Amino acid sequence: MALVRFDASESSTGQLSGRSRSVAAGQHPRHATDLLEELETVVQPVGGWPGIDLIAVGVGPGSFTGLRICVATARALAQALDKPVGPVGTLAALARGIGEQSEAEARPRLAVLDARRGEAFAALHGPNGEELWPPLVTSPAKLAERLATLPEAPLAAGSGALRFRDELEAAGAEVLPDAEPAHRVSARHVCVLAEAGRPARPESIEPIYLRPPDAELWLERDTH
Amino acid sequence: MRILGIETSCDDTCAAVTDGPRIRSNVISSQAAAHARYGGVVPEVASRHHLELINPVVGAALSEAGAELGDLDALAVTRGPGLIGALLVGVTTAKALAAATRKPLIGVDHLHGHVAANFLDPAPLEPPFLCLIASGGHTLLAGVARPEGFEVLGQTLDDAAGEALDKGARLLGLGYPGGPAIERLAADGDPDAFDFPVAMAREPGLDFSFSGLKTALLYATRRLDAGELERRRADLAASYQAAVVGQLVAKLERALEAGEWGAVALGGGVAANAALRERVGELCGERGLRLKLVPAELCTDNAAMIASAARFLEPAPYPEYLSWDAMA
Ligand SMILES: [Zn+2]
Repeated sequence: MALVRFDASESSTGQLSGRSRSVAAGQHPRHATDLLEELETVVQPVGGWPGIDLIAVGVGPGSFTGLRICVATARALAQALDKPVGPVGTLAALARGIGEQSEAEARPRLAVLDARRGEAFAALHGPNGEELWPPLVTSPAKLAERLATLPEAPLAAGSGALRFRDELEAAGAEVLPDAEPAHRVSARHVCVLAEAGRPARPESIEPIYLRPPDAELWLERDTH
Repeated sequence: MRILGIETSCDDTCAAVTDGPRIRSNVISSQAAAHARYGGVVPEVASRHHLELINPVVGAALSEAGAELGDLDALAVTRGPGLIGALLVGVTTAKALAAATRKPLIGVDHLHGHVAANFLDPAPLEPPFLCLIASGGHTLLAGVARPEGFEVLGQTLDDAAGEALDKGARLLGLGYPGGPAIERLAADGDPDAFDFPVAMAREPGLDFSFSGLKTALLYATRRLDAGELERRRADLAASYQAAVVGQLVAKLERALEAGEWGAVALGGGVAANAALRERVGELCGERGLRLKLVPAELCTDNAAMIASAARFLEPAPYPEYLSWDAMA
């Protein structure tokens, strides 16, 4: 099975894994203009788009614009080619990578992305990959409060874990060393999760935004 | 030439299939209700809705036209101007649809689209003509000598005409979108009751300005007490609308005097305004010019007009367009 995978949240590199040909076109400043060009290059070895069975896409959370470009590209490719899409939560893919660490053992895995504006996107997964906390956006202080209530110290990784290492460690979490590849979302994990998940119709794929549009916040402020 | 057009520059998600001047399908999914609670178009809300709607809208345009992507000669998409996040959804979608099927893609200027609405059935208009485009997002006078493009003869220096109507509606306690609301209220009012300035009347050139008018309305409402304001709302609406329309017509008249134009066309949401249509109709009648009024669904933003403009432009073959961006 060949999959094309792309993700807006983190930069990562293409790779080939097992039976799955998984590729990643990562985020960088010229994301909008480069994504499709990179994908076209990447599907060449399998004979172009007809050789692809499933389009795996990271659906966030991440930057609004980056997410939309990825999801719109995946949806349109799938619509044009009549192929299914495998939507994968970015934090779930990150947690899967954490679980492969030898330190993980039976501990919970905390996936944390830098959400900008001094906040973090986070999700907690159990030792079998089950989701214990669904994705949330929160301040490092509030995340630390929640972590303090956990019976077992989780193993953490991701751009947000690096950014808020001090706060997370003070709350009892163990953050993987800076150089660990598990801090980045890997193409392989997105593909594995997409293959294991339920393929979807392109129009049903929605980004995980977590944050409301700013206008929603203004409305709330006006009415309270 | 069969073209699938895609348009997402503001708050309508649109896709259409045209074959020459014939419209095979023209699907418009309006987000107006989603933006009404904010009193105007919110860019992030628009982007989210476009992403939700774009694939079903494209699917509907194809199936209503009885076409599949493979049957098309080219795809066309609005690249700008507009809201950058909204445009990106359309451009990204069009690029991926075209790339997956190895079709050529044609990038279209949104305003050229409004001009090209006049090249569609019924009764396509041939250049040369003068086109007044007025909506919530734009106000310009376009000189159309050839179908491939247009010349901007004048444009707004601040608010768009439709934006001025929206802001006026808000000052009068009316809902969004403001244009139709003001028009309904104005029907019961006296357009001469208040003396609002027809801005730019003494300025040379063909540019527009509406921000001073909005300020004049604000002051007029402040001078009235609550009871008086309530009694005179219809007069305020009628006078305000007359001032907006008056400026549009004054500049159109000046442009007609300055050039040789065989016909006049109106485009944009404000072109649906009955007072504007009447005044422009009189102007054309006096001068023996043809007035082209496209159906309402071709006045407001739509994708048939984008496909119509694309007919006259050079298509970019695969893979030239892969790195295209939106142009806000
Ligand atoms: Zn428009």
